[in-house]
Amino acid sequence: MRIVIAEDSVLLLDGLTRLLAAEGHTVTGYGTADELVRALSTADTELPDLLVTDVRMPPSHTDEGLRAAVHLRSLHPNLPVLVLSQYVEQSYASELFARGARGLGYVLKDRVADVDEFLDAVARVSGGGTVVDPEVVTQIIARHHGSDLDVLTRREREVLALMAEGRSNAAIADRLVVGLAAVEKHVTNILNKLGLPPATDDHRRVLAVLRWLDQNGSH
Amino acid sequence: MSMTSDDGPTPPPQPRTPEDRVAPALVSAPAFFRAPYDAATWRAVAALGTGWMWHLTGGLVLWILVVVSAGLVPALGVGVPLLAASLVAARWFGGAERARIAAQTGVLILAPLPRVRARRGFWSGLWSPVRDNRAWAAALYAFLAMLISTVFFPLTAALLAGAVAAVAFVPLGQGTALAQWSGLSWPATVVGALAGAVVLVWAGAALAQYGSYLMVRLATYLLGPSAADVARARAAVAEQETRLAEAAAHTARERAVVLTESRTAAVSAADTERRRIERDLHDGAQQRLVALGVELGVARRLADKDPEHAVAALELAHREIKETLAELRDLVRGIHPAVLADRGLDAALSALAGRSPVPVRVEVTGDLAPASAAAQAAAYFVVAEALTNVAKHAGAESVRVHASLVPEDEQTRLRVIVHDDGRGGAEPSPGSGLEGLRGRVAALDGTFELDSPPGKGTRLTVEVPCAS
Repeated sequence: MRIVIAEDSVLLLDGLTRLLAAEGHTVTGYGTADELVRALSTADTELPDLLVTDVRMPPSHTDEGLRAAVHLRSLHPNLPVLVLSQYVEQSYASELFARGARGLGYVLKDRVADVDEFLDAVARVSGGGTVVDPEVVTQIIARHHGSDLDVLTRREREVLALMAEGRSNAAIADRLVVGLAAVEKHVTNILNKLGLPPATDDHRRVLAVLRWLDQNGSH
Repeated sequence: MSMTSDDGPTPPPQPRTPEDRVAPALVSAPAFFRAPYDAATWRAVAALGTGWMWHLTGGLVLWILVVVSAGLVPALGVGVPLLAASLVAARWFGGAERARIAAQTGVLILAPLPRVRARRGFWSGLWSPVRDNRAWAAALYAFLAMLISTVFFPLTAALLAGAVAAVAFVPLGQGTALAQWSGLSWPATVVGALAGAVVLVWAGAALAQYGSYLMVRLATYLLGPSAADVARARAAVAEQETRLAEAAAHTARERAVVLTESRTAAVSAADTERRRIERDLHDGAQQRLVALGVELGVARRLADKDPEHAVAALELAHREIKETLAELRDLVRGIHPAVLADRGLDAALSALAGRSPVPVRVEVTGDLAPASAAAQAAAYFVVAEALTNVAKHAGAESVRVHASLVPEDEQTRLRVIVHDDGRGGAEPSPGSGLEGLRGRVAALDGTFELDSPPGKGTRLTVEVPCAS
């Protein structure tokens, strides 16, 4: 598939390009957020199958990449975007997921070094799935020091975290080494206890969970 | 620690009051018992004796002059100049008395303030001694002191002479009419005479001390500064002390402001430094390590199906590691160079000079080792930043770095001078490396001087206390 990468570190851009090319993808790289936005915001652009972008990029080295991603998502709601961040921040995540979670990923940049996991994230996001870095989930859940999560059992809280990371029931079952039926039962319990509507769709479920966590978290 | 005594520090000597000094027999029993052979007694007798003679001559003349001329004042033409002259003489007499009392009793009496000439002019000049109340007090003293010495000296002399006579009576008096007058037996008369001698000696000694004491007190009141002058002087001293305290408080406040500023600068310098290190690590080593991970991941995935590309990826990864190491080495040197800790500033400056693209001549005068590690580090970073700036902006042909220790007041200071022959016009802008260094130097109580006239090169002089 066609992948666009925006990354200011030439070294890393080069490495990612060769990694993805070796996997059989066609890769186009940009060094700044401006170049990326210019390339993808013209009307007759043929959209790539996935956009991978760094958050911190020239000129100000703050959150240019994130703003470009949000902007491009508003232009092309169906463009899958995987955001790589030097450090994860809940507020960035909230901004990014504000308009939906389908085909959207937000992970710590260091995870790229774990090539298998990175390729898995690429596959999931380009397939319309949602990937949220476990650290973001930890941060969000950490803000719930109140009693609202006490209604869940320990195992249910583990399942909730994995749901928030955007994992499917099968992936959760795999991770926790339990049966699929057990996971489905946990998920139903969690949604009931938190008062969320039963959702069959993974990314809709992620969004509901994230939103619930966000709204009920202490600020 | 006391060098001479093992009993700890000796208490400071108590200030001796006039009573202690002139009339000890009146204030302490032991001093009373030793009164006949106490030096104070014989000083008192001498003081009363000379005083008596002097008061009956000079003093008598003086106060008669004063009284007579005061009586003549209604006849202005004669009385006023005479009275003025008498009062000037009274002042002089008072001075002589103070000197005599100091010499004979050891009690120092301060001179009164000189009389004030309020206005110029013949009459006011003539009047001013007359308006001088201290001169009148001296004249009064001449009169009263004459009374005291006239009463006390003859009386003391009589008592002591009586004692001598009583003792002399013992070998000489047997069988005389006086011995028979009492009607007592001779042995009882001898005992009575000796007892009388003892009583007379002690009474005479005590009387001499008391008379001398009265004279000293009188002189203190009448010949010393007036009570008002003493109060004014005390007030002036208190005011002076207040002013000094205020000045000290002001200095302390200014110092506090300087310290607060330098601390703020130090904090912000440290903050800037931390941000620079974070940026260097993020843009450098961290990115390289992520890329390295990708490279190794690629190599692993290609190992089976495409060994040739896998080896190429490994080679890339290897090169990456070496570059990361070099970058970390540079970064670490920027945080704190090992050569500075191991070999000192001298060697570290040579290392800096060796890395500079512009030729640098390093001159070190003497041994820099007495400077503290913090002082040396500050000097090192000043030179490092200055050389970086020279290379970037100055367009210089050569740079001279000079380091030395300079003694100043009580502390030795480490001075470094970086002088280039470039285009000059440098100034430390906020957020620049130079500004950060200025904060670092200020935090060590150092000075930072940048002299950079356009077209005439830049000279940076930094001094930090060696002990900082």
